[in-house]
Amino acid sequence: MNDAANTDRWIRWLNTLQLVLAGVVIMAPTVWMVLSSFKPSFEVTAYPPTMIFSPTLENYVALTKTTPFLSYALNSLIVTVGSTALGLLFGIPAAFAVSWTRISWPAILTLAARMAPGTLFLLPWYVMFRQIGMIGSYTALILSHAVITLPIVIWVLLPSFDGIPRSVFEAAQVDGCSVTRILWRIALPLVASGVAVSAILAFVFSWNYFLFALVLSNGDTKTLIAAAFNFIGEGSTQWGALMAAATLIALPPLVLAALVQRWLVSGLTLGAVKG
Amino acid sequence: MASISIRNLTKRYGNFTVIPDLNLEIADHEFVVFVGPSGCGKSTLLRIIAGLEPISSGDLYIGDKRVNGVQAARRDIAMVFQDYALYPHMRVYDNMSFALELRGTPKAEIDARVKRAAALLHIEPYLDRKPKELSGGQRQRVAMGRAIVRNPKAFLFDEPLSNLDAKLRGQVRAEIKALSQELKTTMVFVTHDQIEAMTMADRIVVLQSGTIQQYDTPETVYERPANQFVAGFIGSPAMNFFPVEWHEERAVLSQGGTVVPLDGETTGRLSKAGNAVLGIRPEHFAVATDAADGIAINVKLVEPLGSDTLIHFDLASASAIARVDPALRPKVGDRINLRPQPGKTHLFDSASGQVLR
Ligand SMILES: Nc1ncnc2c1ncn2[C@@H]1O[C@H](COP(=O)(O)OP(=O)(O)OP(=O)(O)O)[C@@H](O)[C@H]1O
Ligand SMILES: [Mg+2]
Repeated sequence: MNDAANTDRWIRWLNTLQLVLAGVVIMAPTVWMVLSSFKPSFEVTAYPPTMIFSPTLENYVALTKTTPFLSYALNSLIVTVGSTALGLLFGIPAAFAVSWTRISWPAILTLAARMAPGTLFLLPWYVMFRQIGMIGSYTALILSHAVITLPIVIWVLLPSFDGIPRSVFEAAQVDGCSVTRILWRIALPLVASGVAVSAILAFVFSWNYFLFALVLSNGDTKTLIAAAFNFIGEGSTQWGALMAAATLIALPPLVLAALVQRWLVSGLTLGAVKG
Repeated sequence: MASISIRNLTKRYGNFTVIPDLNLEIADHEFVVFVGPSGCGKSTLLRIIAGLEPISSGDLYIGDKRVNGVQAARRDIAMVFQDYALYPHMRVYDNMSFALELRGTPKAEIDARVKRAAALLHIEPYLDRKPKELSGGQRQRVAMGRAIVRNPKAFLFDEPLSNLDAKLRGQVRAEIKALSQELKTTMVFVTHDQIEAMTMADRIVVLQSGTIQQYDTPETVYERPANQFVAGFIGSPAMNFFPVEWHEERAVLSQGGTVVPLDGETTGRLSKAGNAVLGIRPEHFAVATDAADGIAINVKLVEPLGSDTLIHFDLASASAIARVDPALRPKVGDRINLRPQPGKTHLFDSASGQVLR
């Protein structure tokens, strides 16, 4: 009995250790980044890092003064919201169709497209979009980011749709529902949390993706993350401003994740619908 | 309200033929029960009628319209599923009103119909609840309610009572029967419970391996089964079967040669056939006082049911059951003379199992 209690304690202790380690690995750079963004610029690169400093907003002020930060943020928002909406618009019916027909190759195909490196698409897209004069347009960016969002929506929703008992759909058919109606009136309400999760994940992944914007955007449509990438190595890197930018960029995904963390877990574990 | 007509229907899944070639006419207003062992194709046939399963070949008519390619949504049929299949996100009320709403029925009429169905099924207190807040029996009623608010051409039921406890099952069984008499709509009811089949049906379809073994009234199916399969399937406890022969101008058990006292007509049929399988229901044994009148058996096991008593015994190296008067108070080891009641015995062809007439 003592042995069991001891083992229990050990396991709990190991669990805690594991959490702390994971926390440190994940949190340390974040904390460092956030703290640095509030340091006077000469202290940012000081070694060893200063722990005690008088916080200042000078980096944030410099960021907004020297760069069109807000318009970059707006670009990011337009591209991310647009591509997420596009992903949902096509991903929801696509996932439902795959679940309904049990023909799975289209879903596999989108997954393969998502797993391929982005550079694979970049060259043909660049040539294509240039030929039709769309380089630098929001449309080109939103379309390209749909490659990120569509597979996420499909693959998060597919198991949710699969989890709905077939007979519920059949009952709706017998009640006089067309397949489209079944999607909107029966299936979609039952996977609402899955839709929310897929939307948030799509938003975050699209927000964080910089490769397409790096090449397909122009000065007016550059997204935040692509712009931040340009800060590095532009003559003397402004580390302080960069930290401030990184902090602001990381904010929306973190806030979103925090707001819906409970949904996120239940949506990802894909609780089947129990009648 | 409509008749249902199935002509030369076959159903295959890949190379596997579930229904080889089936013909069935269900009259308008008729209550037909499909009964048969698990896997015989009852659900498949029901789902074909509903339009949830495509037909491999043959024709299906509802009313006088051929509906082979017609989608389930356009067949105007109501179905109650074995697992109820209620819409989990809708209140009971919305579950029931959904089909009417889709058809554009006026709000006031929807409300009246839902209320009426709810009253009939005693589910008025639950109209605002979600399905997961209901017991199995209540869900079952909601599933029924969802069907009866409509005025469909036919109702289809797939084992709707199998998840209920024995008492509730008996109650709902009676309710469905009463309902069918009130609604006067064609009903097809699937079950593997032969008591449900006997008590509710106007006519019973006994299915085996996708073929109809017999299609007739419950009385006929019970009293004059078409073959040994039907005889063994309908009735509880099941009919006893003994191989018999015509030997030295008498009917004897093939095993052991015991003489079986049969009525004149049965004797005549056996003498023509030479040998056969004799079928006697447990309730069709009489206890003979005179040893010369009956077959002597040893009581192996006694099951008092209150209204009757079942006695188990071995005869011709098979176990058999007889249903006797409880006043007899039989005991294990007792020696009793049993005699088949005249006119209640059945003879089946030894090879084909078809009844000998
Ligand atoms: N989708 C399918 N693919 C292949 N075979 C199937 C399919 N659906 C049913 N079957 C087969 O068809 C046969 C009939 O099935 P069905 O469900 O109609 O039986 P049932 O009479 O309703 O049985 P139960 O009383 O167990 O419900 C079974 O042998 C089953 O294995
Ligand atoms: Mg079945």
